[in-house]
Amino acid sequence: MKKAKVFAGITLLSGVALTLAACGKSGSNANEASNAAKFSQAVPTKATKNGGTVKVAVETDTPFTGIFNDELSTSNTDSEVMQYGAESLFGTDDHYVFNNKGAATIKIDQKAKTATINIKKGVKWSDGKQVTAKDYEYAYEIIANKDSKSQRYTASLADLVGLKEYHEGKASTISGLEMPDGENGRKVVLHFKNMKPGMNTSGNGYIWEAAAPYHYLKDVKFKDLMSSDKIRKRPLFFGPYKLQKLVRGQSTTWVPNEYYYKGKPKITKITASVINPNSVAQSIKSNKFDVIQVINSQWPNVKNTKGVNFIATVPLSYSYLGFKVGKWDAKKGENVMNPKSKMNNKALRQAIGYGMNVNQVAKRYSYGLSFRIPTLIPKQFGDYFDKDVKGYSYNIKKGNEILDKAGYKKKGTYRVQPNGKPLTIHLAAMSGNANQEPIIQNYIQQWKKEGLNVKLTGGRLIEFNSFYDKVQNDDPSVDMFMGAWSLSSEPSPNDLYSQTAPMNYSRFVTKKNTQLLDEMDSQKAFNHQYRIDKFHEWQKYMDDEAYVLPVSNSYTITAVNKKLTGYSLKPSDSMGNGFPNWYNVAYTK
Amino acid sequence: MWKTILRRLLIMIPQLIILSLLVFLLAKMMPGDPFSGSINPNTDPKQIEALRRAAGLYDPWYVQYFRWVGNLFHGDLGTSYIQHVPVTSLIADRANNTFWLSLLTTILTYSIAIPLGITAGRHQDQWQDTGVQIFNYITLATPGFVFYILGLWLFGFTLGWFPISGSVSANASGFWGVLGSRLYHMIFPAILYALIATTGTVQYLRTGIVDNKVEDYVRTARSKGVPENVVFHKHILRNSLLPIAAFLGNTITGLLSGSMIIESVFSYPGMGKLFLDSISQRDYTTLTALILIFGILTLIGNLLSDIIMSIIDPRIRIQ
Repeated sequence: MKKAKVFAGITLLSGVALTLAACGKSGSNANEASNAAKFSQAVPTKATKNGGTVKVAVETDTPFTGIFNDELSTSNTDSEVMQYGAESLFGTDDHYVFNNKGAATIKIDQKAKTATINIKKGVKWSDGKQVTAKDYEYAYEIIANKDSKSQRYTASLADLVGLKEYHEGKASTISGLEMPDGENGRKVVLHFKNMKPGMNTSGNGYIWEAAAPYHYLKDVKFKDLMSSDKIRKRPLFFGPYKLQKLVRGQSTTWVPNEYYYKGKPKITKITASVINPNSVAQSIKSNKFDVIQVINSQWPNVKNTKGVNFIATVPLSYSYLGFKVGKWDAKKGENVMNPKSKMNNKALRQAIGYGMNVNQVAKRYSYGLSFRIPTLIPKQFGDYFDKDVKGYSYNIKKGNEILDKAGYKKKGTYRVQPNGKPLTIHLAAMSGNANQEPIIQNYIQQWKKEGLNVKLTGGRLIEFNSFYDKVQNDDPSVDMFMGAWSLSSEPSPNDLYSQTAPMNYSRFVTKKNTQLLDEMDSQKAFNHQYRIDKFHEWQKYMDDEAYVLPVSNSYTITAVNKKLTGYSLKPSDSMGNGFPNWYNVAYTK
Repeated sequence: MWKTILRRLLIMIPQLIILSLLVFLLAKMMPGDPFSGSINPNTDPKQIEALRRAAGLYDPWYVQYFRWVGNLFHGDLGTSYIQHVPVTSLIADRANNTFWLSLLTTILTYSIAIPLGITAGRHQDQWQDTGVQIFNYITLATPGFVFYILGLWLFGFTLGWFPISGSVSANASGFWGVLGSRLYHMIFPAILYALIATTGTVQYLRTGIVDNKVEDYVRTARSKGVPENVVFHKHILRNSLLPIAAFLGNTITGLLSGSMIIESVFSYPGMGKLFLDSISQRDYTTLTALILIFGILTLIGNLLSDIIMSIIDPRIRIQ
């Protein structure tokens, strides 16, 4: 269930911008970048003992919603709060490819257009009942049934034969979901309309990765599920811990699930309680929690704390600068590029890229915890990441040359467009913490050195809701915008940059781009090397065209009590839900 | 007087209609909606659109407004877009938290403010008075949020005497355990809030006593040989409490509306916090319901104050 993690979506959109905007006092932390790279992804492994209580901080300034069900939950905080029980069906390796170490196995057959799922014997809900084929089907039913108001129904999921018909109420069952051994069996065969090469990877969006306890929930009507006590107060899970107590919006208490298929977990009790992000630094310093995530801007404050191990990962996300070159045509459901738009000039976009001193900004404002990224495919995707693409590193001279060559002549301080009209570029940027303003001003100053007149849309940073309102609706007051994406663990960029992707906020559409994106997810791409080649080709193409400039990403650091062992952020150590495998976590002897 | 109360209640109806209309329109004018936070590569914008349509967000505003009002008459405040539970249950939950916190705060405020005010008024211009005045200027000049954060840092983190957030500990069990934990979570914000909130009461009381001390009826009482203590408590103090009683109505209804600042600083899940969250998350149903409730509380508070005044001060009669 990588999706749950990825679901942060827009929260992260502002979040990433913020982490870059971490508050810094001086540029004296030049060596931090190398320090940051030294973070381990896991705490040291040591001999364990049974027992003990673990206190985990949930950092949010609003109470959590508490919909303890993967199919209905909409918030990242909820996923965080239920990570102790909500295990995904499938395990993955470090590049998020399914392996057979989780609660179920999965086998993709390209020719037969099927995925065969076998739930392991002994995988039991916390009431002792075996997880069955019906439980998996039921998860699909919750998502697709209109009454349940799930936000998870997507066109990708509807690649499953019959799901659309079920969604529209034309069929009472999902015809493409077959249970060869019956509802109480453990085998499910999914029949697809089209096979996708990413289907062997968690977070692919075509295969659901969780199950819901049908025997427990069947008496609740779909429309009442979301508010029912069986989901909000007394949920069932098949993960290592079960919910013992809930204080609405504030805390959850978990105790071992005695039926857990790998054995009984070692910690007696885990409490996850909400804490205001403003109190995080103090809480770390006073060791109030055993597991607590560091807010990057507070890093210098907390980094010398005793009694904790700091571990870190680089999340699957990035911030970017996008250029508006077209509009979304809602009727046709596709992006339409305007070749005459102001930003539809490769030289201009490239020069803007060369004008950004991302490295310096990251160094100065984030203690080296943020860094420039060269391409739109993050390094964590392994082979798919093209290490030969270097992106646009700070180079004012080159920027000026490109602009001169492209006919952007200087008239006074600023350049004019090749057609002689004055050039003012409006940048939309989200307001965040105090350092967002100096960072954006810094970029604007650099662009001025290239003779580019960049002004903030509306004259100031824009509040999150208004920002996306403008960007999504192609407001003419936006020429370029600084956003951020949190990604799914399946690397295909189709959802973000294709002709039919509403989230392709730049609205660029080129033949070449469409072709490359299609090829990446084509039948041929089941050949791993072919797919990698296409990914690399696409990254080079995007780098050259510069419709979207990747900007930066940051470490996510967690402070873990030194007495705890087994806590690991590696994808292969996860329960498939993007969180550490709590079965492995225990106190040291 | 009953006639008056009835009339006042009737006037409230148009007031509330105007308030609800304004509230509703302003809420709708905010950019974004409850679903804008859900757009990411893993949700299908078409599904989000379908949910928006199903939630009636594309209906004309008056259709939405009348639907909302219609439901109000059935006692249905709608379902929270964010929390996905009925707004009534959400508010009941939070109102409960806020009520006890406010009650504790109010008790503490009065038990600090009244003795201080009396001392200052009685010993006018002596050192006691100066002390109280200094305390008063400090509390008046200190912004609440600075004071709370400072208190939180000092007593919550550095000394670790009090919990730093929430309304009850995750580990509390049993009736007494939960009660104790709740009290423990409440007492600190209540003390901080009360300390800041005393200013007005102290000042009114002090001024009242100082003014009344030189009134003719006091001189008469003294010249009749009434003991000084009786003069003070029966004549001066009673009259000096009038201005405080004038606020009593709003204090009572204020028990339910809570404080945004203190609840935010302490992440205390009460009405004030709920109000702030519902704005930032565009939770229209919760937001409009809350403003309506706050509006009703204020109107009732004013009415209560007037009634209380007319009862304790025979000179005032509601016409």
